[in-house]
Amino acid sequence: MITQVKSPILEIHDLTVSYDQSPVLWNVDLSLPSGKLIGILGPNGAGKSTLIKAIMGLVDPSGGYVKLFDKTLEEVRSRISYVPQRESVDWNFPASVLDVVMMGTYGKLGLFKRPGKKEKELSMESLEKVGMHGFANRQISELSGGQQQRVFIARSLAQNADLYLMDEPFAGVDMATETAIFELLQEMTAAGKTVIVVHHDIYSAVNYFDWFIMLNLHLVASGPKETVMTEDLLRKTYGGKLNLLTKVSDLIRQKEFNPLKN
Amino acid sequence: MSFDQNAFLIIITAAMIAISCGLLGVFMMLRKMSMTGDAISHAVLPGIVIGFFVSGSQRGLEVIIGAGILGILATLMIDWLRRKARVQLDASIGITFTLLFAIGIILINLLAYKVDLDQECVLYGEIAYLPIDLWLTKSGLNMGPRILYLSLLNLILVTAFIILFFKELKVTSFDENFSKVIGIPAGLINLSLMSMVSYTTVSSFEAVGAILVVALLVVPPATAFLWTRKLKLLIQLTIVLGIGISIVGYYLAYLFDSSIAGMIVSVAGIAFLASALFKSKSFLSRFGTSRQPESLKKIV
Ligand SMILES: Nc1ncnc2c1ncn2[C@@H]1O[C@H](COP(=O)(O)OP(=O)(O)O)[C@@H](O)[C@H]1O
Ligand SMILES: [Mg+2]
Repeated sequence: MITQVKSPILEIHDLTVSYDQSPVLWNVDLSLPSGKLIGILGPNGAGKSTLIKAIMGLVDPSGGYVKLFDKTLEEVRSRISYVPQRESVDWNFPASVLDVVMMGTYGKLGLFKRPGKKEKELSMESLEKVGMHGFANRQISELSGGQQQRVFIARSLAQNADLYLMDEPFAGVDMATETAIFELLQEMTAAGKTVIVVHHDIYSAVNYFDWFIMLNLHLVASGPKETVMTEDLLRKTYGGKLNLLTKVSDLIRQKEFNPLKN
Repeated sequence: MSFDQNAFLIIITAAMIAISCGLLGVFMMLRKMSMTGDAISHAVLPGIVIGFFVSGSQRGLEVIIGAGILGILATLMIDWLRRKARVQLDASIGITFTLLFAIGIILINLLAYKVDLDQECVLYGEIAYLPIDLWLTKSGLNMGPRILYLSLLNLILVTAFIILFFKELKVTSFDENFSKVIGIPAGLINLSLMSMVSYTTVSSFEAVGAILVVALLVVPPATAFLWTRKLKLLIQLTIVLGIGISIVGYYLAYLFDSSIAGMIVSVAGIAFLASALFKSKSFLSRFGTSRQPESLKKIV
């Protein structure tokens, strides 16, 4: 169940990625519309992070290609923002919250230039959006996991991009904050930005995303929520974890989730 | 001899070397590459020998270039072993530097009849001879100790490097993938840092020796990291420590009539242990946990 779109913001063509000769992503072929909040679903080890890294040029594909804004990555770097998984860095690093968020402005600054007043203001605004402006001068080693995650989201906002790729940005974030940030992301997509989020919670995913990519080494589905949020596709994505899936189909029924209505 | 000119020259030189090493060491530590610094300082030996052989002098530019090339080679080899051959980082480092160091030793032996290179000096250095190793111009003008100038030049270049690439060094140390994504040439920054470490190693080996350069790269930054989680403060504290251990180390060496470089590093080691002890105690009483500071784990 793969819906292709015309003039996509992101086009992935027949992408295969391997680590040590063994492929972890097989022939992924999809295209995504702009201005949507897009969720990537899949079990652990499905290759979700690998897909994002391949899009961002952090791993080399063994086959296929990625095009962004109908261009190569190199040409559009400044229009793309990336939130890596929180565990990918050591939070003992000697930096303040503001220091880390300011890193989001480095790309547009270029070599040798130092961030100034403008960059600082932009970073403070980004911190305010994730409710962390009170922590600007706190050292990052003193933050909770959820707060660290919000710092990463703020850094990404400070990049002022058109396309955002976020790898599990809500891991360890409390419900209230998650809701607030999802609303922020919805505002951003309403303003024409595109946000792609790897998400682990199917329940909240149903509420927020417009479009889903379902992945389990192969691409299972890519399309609007109404067409792909089905028990059959979820089962294909998550395999035989019936317990979970029964609950999901319950949820879909409970909410009287009717694709034709929306 | 409480405070004569020679003491002053030796302390100034030692402090400059300690600061250069410390500045680079801070970023090596933050990249979890302290031991790569160790590897580089040993791996440059074949480069030094070859440079020496080519130029016929321990002072030639060829020596520094040779060391620089070997330093980069060692970095690339460690990286290749780790990423492509999937060897553990510590094993990659161990294999690389012992191999290159051994090649250096063999080269010294093979070329012994042509290369008057003192292994003892390369390894341990002898800063005490600094005041009598003078830089004489062609017209015979006495410019003062040669190593003082080498260390000063080294310090200026290291400082310029850190200031110029501060933002890039910071972001690539914290989050390499992110820095690549925003278009910062992370690989190039890394190689530049390794080249600076190689250059600093050769520039310093005559004074404090290759082994003790490692201690200056690792110990002052690790000590400072026990006291602060602010990058600027961390760098400042490392500089202060570099100066402090040079002064105390010199006078203790004088007192006990022993190796100056050895004493400087011993003082650094004691300062580190004392800090670790103090920190773990106050940490215990404050939070009731025994979580080890990151830097401590790296040293032990
Ligand atoms: N650097 C790596 N080297 C080797 N295998 C890797 C590497 N990164 C991920 N993998 C493997 O690739 C598969 C997909 O990983 P990943 O993309 O992180 O999955 P997800 O993010 O969906 O949990 C997993 O089986 C994982 O073990
Ligand atoms: Mg992942």
